[in-house]
Amino acid sequence: MKNRLRDAIKGSRADYTEIRLERSVTSAVSFRGPRLEGATVSTDEGGFVRCLNRGYGWGMASFTSLEGLDAMVARAHELSLAVRLDAPIRLAEVPIRQEDVLLPLGGDVRGVPLDVKKRHVESLNELMLGRDRRIVDTQTGYRDEVVEYWYGNSEETLLYELRPEVTLSAVAVAREQGTIERALESLGRRSGWEAVQGREAQFLAAADRAIALLAAPRVRGGTYPVVLDPKLAGVFVHEAFGHLSEADFVYENPEARAMMTLGRRFGGPELTIGDDGSAAALRGTLPYDDEGTPTRNTVLVQNGVLVGRLHSRETAARLGEAPTGNARALSFRHPPIVRMTNTYIANGRGSRDDLLRDIKLGIYACDAQGGQTYLEDFSFTAGHGYMIRDGQIAEMVKDVVVAGNLFQTLERIDRIAGDFQWNELGGGCGKGGQMPLPVTEGAPHVRISEALVGGSRS
Amino acid sequence: MIERLLELAARRAEAADATLKSDETVTLLFESGRLKSTAWSQESGVNLRVRSGGRLGVAGSTAGDPAAVVEAALDSAAIGDAVDLLLPAPAPLPPVRTHSPAAAAASVGDLAAIGQGLVERLSRDGWQVNVTVERSAGSVRVANSRGVEAAYDVSAVSLAAEITRVSGDDVLMVSDLYAAVDLPPEPSVAALAESILRRARWAERPAPPPRGELPVLFTPAGSAALLLPLRQAFLGKAVLQGISPLGGRRGERVFDPALTLIDDPWADGVAGSRGIDDEGVPTRRLPLVEQGRVAEFVYDLETAARAGVPATGHARRSTFGKPQASYSNLRLLPGELGWDQLLARMPDGLVVDDLIGVGQGNVIGGAFSHPVALAYRVSAGEILGRVKDAAVSGNSYELLRQVAGLGRDAEWRGSLCIPPILLAGVSVTPR
Repeated sequence: MKNRLRDAIKGSRADYTEIRLERSVTSAVSFRGPRLEGATVSTDEGGFVRCLNRGYGWGMASFTSLEGLDAMVARAHELSLAVRLDAPIRLAEVPIRQEDVLLPLGGDVRGVPLDVKKRHVESLNELMLGRDRRIVDTQTGYRDEVVEYWYGNSEETLLYELRPEVTLSAVAVAREQGTIERALESLGRRSGWEAVQGREAQFLAAADRAIALLAAPRVRGGTYPVVLDPKLAGVFVHEAFGHLSEADFVYENPEARAMMTLGRRFGGPELTIGDDGSAAALRGTLPYDDEGTPTRNTVLVQNGVLVGRLHSRETAARLGEAPTGNARALSFRHPPIVRMTNTYIANGRGSRDDLLRDIKLGIYACDAQGGQTYLEDFSFTAGHGYMIRDGQIAEMVKDVVVAGNLFQTLERIDRIAGDFQWNELGGGCGKGGQMPLPVTEGAPHVRISEALVGGSRS
Repeated sequence: MIERLLELAARRAEAADATLKSDETVTLLFESGRLKSTAWSQESGVNLRVRSGGRLGVAGSTAGDPAAVVEAALDSAAIGDAVDLLLPAPAPLPPVRTHSPAAAAASVGDLAAIGQGLVERLSRDGWQVNVTVERSAGSVRVANSRGVEAAYDVSAVSLAAEITRVSGDDVLMVSDLYAAVDLPPEPSVAALAESILRRARWAERPAPPPRGELPVLFTPAGSAALLLPLRQAFLGKAVLQGISPLGGRRGERVFDPALTLIDDPWADGVAGSRGIDDEGVPTRRLPLVEQGRVAEFVYDLETAARAGVPATGHARRSTFGKPQASYSNLRLLPGELGWDQLLARMPDGLVVDDLIGVGQGNVIGGAFSHPVALAYRVSAGEILGRVKDAAVSGNSYELLRQVAGLGRDAEWRGSLCIPPILLAGVSVTPR
């Protein structure tokens, strides 16, 4: 395969050519209630060619048939020549590498028969169903994948990688009279069969939480001091801040650039935010991004001050900054675009209880069910929450939606605890039609002095 | 490929059905008003389902080895659920146009000219204009071991535009989309541009958020939060699971009598139209809500077999995974009020054009609470300006029980055709 790739690049008439080839095997098992929804194995293979010529734009071709690779290269070259540009596209320099990187498979899923996977998932699903008669529905999903990956470009970088991934997800639905509640748990790792063992407690927790939510009142909407648990804080930093740090948001837009000027203060001296594609075995972890750039830890906010952003080679060259290894593609069907990897809020000091102590009335918001931003405005739905009364965690509440303005909210982060954790969740990030891209978020408990919480009519 | 697949499967299984979907897509990306990249993609994949020993198994592949796909499907069936699934026999199909020769034949240059035309209509000082033009052309084949063998050509064209205006920490993003079987005729491009320009004009000035239980006018683009619970509740699968609030309520008046919602797979030239579904069942127009009463639910073969009802022709299957029921084109039939008449019914209120976070949380129950992404304050029937710091909340089922006004202008946006909906008593909270 390497030779085919090398030959195809050599045969290209474009100034710059890169090719990615992928071959993947995926198995998926899912249960809905007691019923098996599906147990399937899929095979996928294909490639992606991107060509660039001086004074012209990108030409790209993707295909599921690996025959005729040379013709695909020729097509990408032609498409590049169809786009005349006044301002030439330049690519920042990156080290040239020839390397094979086989990420640890953590128990090669390709060696585990489908019926063994099914039985394992079934037993986890049954734990939820059997927990309480009020659990009326469940959704349990398992998915594994091993991607063989080849990357080469005309600068003579040539990579071969083995990229494993496994995810497990649980939804428990509880019903009592007219009330229906759901609780979610998930797991995602760049690993294999070993990672999904010993997960019983998580599934039981989902069932127990769905039951507990039945009796919980809706939170009363209003403005409160809010403590985010590490899961919700992680989603917050990804959605609200991470996306604005993606350089493709600012590199063509002077006004957006002004908003995200390096050196701007975004929060207090305790606030440090970063993105680390080189962290160990997380879903966003890879040795190289999909432009062959080595991944690394990129600090975005250092002690409250904006110091960096996430780049592809093109955005780095445009802004005169260093490439960060954040050009990622969902698969061979897509071009690499600027994406996050493993995004985090770094540790502060103290415990969760230290953050709660001087709150008279507030909300402890836990678990992210989802989050969306509209640039500086964001909204996150917590899986559940608790009232904080006189410095203590009090009754559980539901339908906790935390919304606000990013800049205001970052300024209002007044305490960060020292209990950092990576949230190894399933799901993924969506951007530019590429979803779900595996990413991870991590954070300690974070306190916001004042935030809008939606809920029952106030 | 598909014949060979079914032939191999027939030797080992009691029944089998398959789809083969192939297409070629050209995508042009205009960034900040200039053509930046051109991408071409080719994709071909099969999805096979077998019934073996009474159990169902599914496999999919883009790699072209029929024997391996059959083997994977049989593996899947060996541990699959037993379902008494009867594949459909060949039946006459409704004539539905899914393909435009002109769209399929359009060159990269033709598509670039369409994109450029839209960019020019939208160019303003201080605006970043991004436009995407995409055209795919291909074919769908559906076949089963009972003799169904259908093939049809498809084309799809989409034209999407987004403008971004940043001033200080204030960001305005307005986007809109054309998606259909045909290339966009000039009036459609003009209408797309005008829809964006109009909303940018409404958003030019800031307006203070109102507070309280107010009339809120949901534009077609802004109605997703209202309709999403219904989209989930009308799935036969949700009814089977006992989680649809509408299950067992067929014939009951749940919504305002002004509301009629149909799924229309025969709409001419619309993105979701087709004559046969991906399981070989002929499509038909299906009323979901008839004058406020719950009518029908959508089923694929498997959920229909479980529920003991006929399949409705709503199965979709991609290369990977098993068939799933989903809507073709949803149409909420329009009312009689013009835009200005709707506004005139609002002494003080909000026009909601886009919300943040739709789809999060416990959607199917109908409750929603979202900050606004794009919303405009209305006072005495006039739009005052853009409201930023506010959230709207309510429950779709409660709100749709009584509609305060239904617009007469319903336009296709992709596979949705919805008029503006005016609802009274929506909770608006400033922040």
